[in-house]
Amino acid sequence: MSTEELATMKADKTVDARGTSCPGPLLAAKKAIGEIQKGQVMEVLSADEGTRRDIPKWCKKKGFEYLGTVEESGFFKIFLRK
Amino acid sequence: MANKKLTIALFSGSVDKLTAAGVILGGAAAEDMDVEIFVLLQAAFAFKKENAMTNDRVAEITDKKDDFLASLKRLNTPHWTEAFKTAKEMTNVNIHICGFAGKVWHGEKLDDFIDLADDICGIGEYMTAAEESDINLFI
Repeated sequence: MSTEELATMKADKTVDARGTSCPGPLLAAKKAIGEIQKGQVMEVLSADEGTRRDIPKWCKKKGFEYLGTVEESGFFKIFLRK
Repeated sequence: MANKKLTIALFSGSVDKLTAAGVILGGAAAEDMDVEIFVLLQAAFAFKKENAMTNDRVAEITDKKDDFLASLKRLNTPHWTEAFKTAKEMTNVNIHICGFAGKVWHGEKLDDFIDLADDICGIGEYMTAAEESDINLFI
């Protein structure tokens, strides 16, 4: 997905994990994924560089679709589809 | 597909290594791994009820202990007992206290240890779990 597409993407659920460090954002994503339906989009906000790398790998292992990451000022918006 | 299995021989009773174990447990929880933790010698000290929250010993870079502990606070890192508890809530984690280790620290009963502990066991159970696991760590 292109950066432009991601920038305008409306997520069905937003997980703001900017206050935690690794593995906090990943665990927050794990908890929240149970609250959305298959096909819905979730965005994870994280200030943690490790999480940016972890979420795509986690998606692959768990069978979710990693859509991409938008870099904001001081944090990342990481998008995935259940 | 069966869950992957992680076994940890948790020897250290130091807050730096226990914190690392907590981070690894978080990763295991995110991936729905089945985890068996064997609390060995010094870790059994940290698992004693009276020690778990007060233990601020570090095993390495000991001259920077204060900086390390301050950084954990600054980064909102949960205390290792919290990290272990979260992992237990999110995936299948069993925590076994080595019977010998318990006795070394004057803990004879399960009740002498924090609630995270599930049972007291012998080393044979560790060998079996390690044989059957996909990942086996000594911390």
